[in-house]
Amino acid sequence: MKSIIYWLHSQPMRVKVLVFGIIMSTIPLLLISYYYYSNVKPDLEERIISKQELVLQNLTGEIELEFNQIFQQVQMFSIINDKEDKQPIFYDLLMKNTSIEEVVIINESGRIEEKVSRYDLNILESNERWFSDEMWDVFQSDDRIYGEVEFNQFGQPVMKIALVYRENERRNAVGVTIQLQKIIGQISSLKQDDLSYLYLLDREGKVIAHQDYRKLWHQSPEADNKEMLGVREELVDLGWTIIMEQPKTTAYEPINDMFMKGLMVAVIVTLFVSLISIYAGLYFTAPIVLLDKEMRRLKAGHVASPIILNRNDELGQLSQSFNEMSQELQEKSFRLKQEKERLDVVVNGIGAGLALVTKNYEVTWTNPLLESWMSKEEIELPCYTLIGGMNTPCDNCPITCPEINENADTIMRMQRGNREERLFRHRVFPLTHAIKGEGEYLIVIEDVTEEKQMEEKMIQTDKLSALGLMASSFAHEVNNPLATIHVYAEDLIDRLEQYDDDLDEVEMALYLRKIKENTDRCKRITGNLLNFSRKSNWKVSQFDIKEIIQNSISLVEYSLKKKNVLLDVSIQEEMPYMAGDSIKLMQVLVNLINNSIDAINQDGTVAISAFQQNRNFVFKIKDNGCGIPNHEMQKIFDPFFTTKPVGKGTGLGLSVCYGIIEEFGGTIMVESKVGKGTMIIVSIPAETRFKEDKQ
Amino acid sequence: MKIKWYFFLFTIMVLSIITFPFISNKDQKPLKIGIIMIGDSRYEKLIGLKKGMKELGYDDWSTEFLVKSGRDQEATLASQIEDLLNEKPALIVALGGIETLKLKEIMEKQNIQIPVVFAGVAAPKEIGLIKDYRSPGGLFTGINNYHTSLSGKRLEIFRDLVPSISRFHILYDEDIEVSKLSLENVKAAAERLSLEIIPWNVSDSKNFLSEMKHKIHLNDAILVMPGFKMELLSKEIAQFSKEYHVPVMGLYENEIEDGILASYGTSYFDQGYQSARFVSSIIQGNSPADIPVEMPDNIRFIVNQKVKSELGISLNKDIIHLAEFINPNAEGMSQ
Repeated sequence: MKSIIYWLHSQPMRVKVLVFGIIMSTIPLLLISYYYYSNVKPDLEERIISKQELVLQNLTGEIELEFNQIFQQVQMFSIINDKEDKQPIFYDLLMKNTSIEEVVIINESGRIEEKVSRYDLNILESNERWFSDEMWDVFQSDDRIYGEVEFNQFGQPVMKIALVYRENERRNAVGVTIQLQKIIGQISSLKQDDLSYLYLLDREGKVIAHQDYRKLWHQSPEADNKEMLGVREELVDLGWTIIMEQPKTTAYEPINDMFMKGLMVAVIVTLFVSLISIYAGLYFTAPIVLLDKEMRRLKAGHVASPIILNRNDELGQLSQSFNEMSQELQEKSFRLKQEKERLDVVVNGIGAGLALVTKNYEVTWTNPLLESWMSKEEIELPCYTLIGGMNTPCDNCPITCPEINENADTIMRMQRGNREERLFRHRVFPLTHAIKGEGEYLIVIEDVTEEKQMEEKMIQTDKLSALGLMASSFAHEVNNPLATIHVYAEDLIDRLEQYDDDLDEVEMALYLRKIKENTDRCKRITGNLLNFSRKSNWKVSQFDIKEIIQNSISLVEYSLKKKNVLLDVSIQEEMPYMAGDSIKLMQVLVNLINNSIDAINQDGTVAISAFQQNRNFVFKIKDNGCGIPNHEMQKIFDPFFTTKPVGKGTGLGLSVCYGIIEEFGGTIMVESKVGKGTMIIVSIPAETRFKEDKQ
Repeated sequence: MKIKWYFFLFTIMVLSIITFPFISNKDQKPLKIGIIMIGDSRYEKLIGLKKGMKELGYDDWSTEFLVKSGRDQEATLASQIEDLLNEKPALIVALGGIETLKLKEIMEKQNIQIPVVFAGVAAPKEIGLIKDYRSPGGLFTGINNYHTSLSGKRLEIFRDLVPSISRFHILYDEDIEVSKLSLENVKAAAERLSLEIIPWNVSDSKNFLSEMKHKIHLNDAILVMPGFKMELLSKEIAQFSKEYHVPVMGLYENEIEDGILASYGTSYFDQGYQSARFVSSIIQGNSPADIPVEMPDNIRFIVNQKVKSELGISLNKDIIHLAEFINPNAEGMSQ
């Protein structure tokens, strides 16, 4: 059964429709036929028996009536006192009952005294006896005598019956010979539509009437092996038995016939329904097959032909929808190809390495550029090993910590083979609609070596530019202590040459101390300058913010004095050390203070404050200079944008500041009002997650 | 895919035609029963046969009667029999002795095997139609109308009916076997009854009645033997009876209606009616060889009251208890 169901499931829809049609058409018919077959059978049996009983009751009734009438008529004769004139009564008997062949009067010795015959002459033979031996015996004791069925000279079955009467104390009898052919003929010839048959047995069990004449006058037909449906009625007085039988095989023939017809009808209906089912199957499945074929073509990337069905039903609508969908799909496929082409161009030409990474850090796809950076073996490594060169996943990676909203934007160093070490920018983007296991994250790796070098160059350029601008200041700054040293040294020399007695050790020490102080000052200035001007890569160290601010101020001190700018420095007490590149921070501060000084024509104020707010270090450089017009606000961080006169600035200052602060992971904001002044707010996280160079 | 509707319908039609015989009712064609009669005088037998068939359960749809009549001509009878045989009926009912004998002759000649029921033949065994009354043993069975054997009894009844009769003229046909046999029976009975009889062979003389009128005396009577020619001359005999005041006894009811005094025998209708039993038995599969020949179910004694009055004769009061009367209201009727 399972295999049939499995087979059915594997068949096309048209076969299923056919099977469904056949099942739906045949099973109800077969069930109905079986129901009727099983229910009608007992009913048919009952009807047959009832019919047989009815037939037999009618026949027995007729036979009994016939004989009763004869006996009544004979009895009438016997009770008539005057038996002298018997002839009219005899004729009456013959007249009233056509079955009577002859009427006789029999005396006590059994001899016929008188007779009237319907066929023969009424002349008596001498000593003619009428009773058979058996009848004679019965005559001695009974009043009613029945003879056996016998045959007359013409082979006709007859039966003698007699009724005893007493006349003058003598035991006489009236006898009649009755023709049985009418009774026998009626039983034998009665039409039977249902192959049942009738037969009549005399008291000896001999067949005296049978619908099959071959069995006539034989003993009771032996029961053959056939099962019969039959009834029998006894004719008590005559001792006859009338039987009606029908073989069950023929009795059930109508319902067997009906069942066979039912089967035949089922076959025809099945054929008919099969044809309809085949047609229906094809009618319903042909469009589906066509759709499937075109779908496959579509799937294989071919252009699907339009399906034209001249019907307005669901399949017609489906085909129309398919045609529309196919057309739309083709258009979208074309657009997708366009997009893919563009994307391929972008992916391949972006100049950045791209990789798809699963949650398990497994690299599932790389673009050709990244592939060119890696060997085949390396690509099979986890991303943190492949890209980060680490043995464990990175802490700030969104793959490791999905709650991190950032994209692990880091700059790292990588050296591939014998090539020079290069800088790469690494970012991780989670993909919202990624298929699990195919790469839920996109890693973008950009070679920023040139960019960084350019930035460094720009910073250095800016620094050198600043140094250039500040050169006269430095000269003045150094010149003053040098002049002081010169004065003290010259005076000291003079006094030594003059052997000034006043020049004692204390004064000497004073002179030397002054020289030393001014030398220290020069040294600090030049050292500061050297430190500032040194070209260096990003170098992380712990430094004191206050010291950095002071160093920065020392570089611009002359400019402040020159413009008579009042400097207000406010640094929070006990500020913790800050981690990062102190020179870079100093460059920012110098740039910002220089800008403030430049914004002030004369006698202005520059306020510098530094404090810790929340988890950030905040630096505010505020001036009351000319301010920045609104229309220039958007451009101030652009490289080479400057409002300063030629030779006063390169336009790189704020741009470099922006880059450095970004390196610190901080922000830079500008608030300015024209004519009122400008305030620059730099906020750097205390736990600086500045971009680390990694190798 | 385009479905050819006409092909679809054609397939259904072909299937229906192929399967129709399996599911339609079996052959319901009526059974063809051939009827052969010498003339329309036998028509009463056909009516009896049809009635008997109907009462045995055969409706008009189950049987078809192919009726052929010889129009009272023996030559025509033969051709009608041949026509009937050509139509191949399932069985044939011959409505009289002459028809049965002719049919037997032609069937034997043409070696045709069709069951035959004779609806009233006198002495069938004696004329060679059957071997035995209980087992006919051939293609023929039916009713022995007993008219041959009954001839002696008829003489006795005639004598008893009209006690004044002193001499009986016996009309018989020397060419008809049953007629001759009947005469022999009458002769034997007359001897036993001590009656005088005068045989008249109707086949010898074309105008035997004109010869007879010269031989008729007072208290003479005419007893008609079985024979087709006598049946055809029924009216002439009746006319003769009336003209010469001679009581006549025949065999059939129709002779009474023609104007003879009395008849004693089985009627045409009864013979036809009784023969239905044989037809039914054969239809149900019995062979005529196995079906015993039957005597008439009913022998009728009919007296024409009007003729009796016309003849001015007295009837025996005893015997009329057996008689049926026609024209009972005729003048002078007394019982």
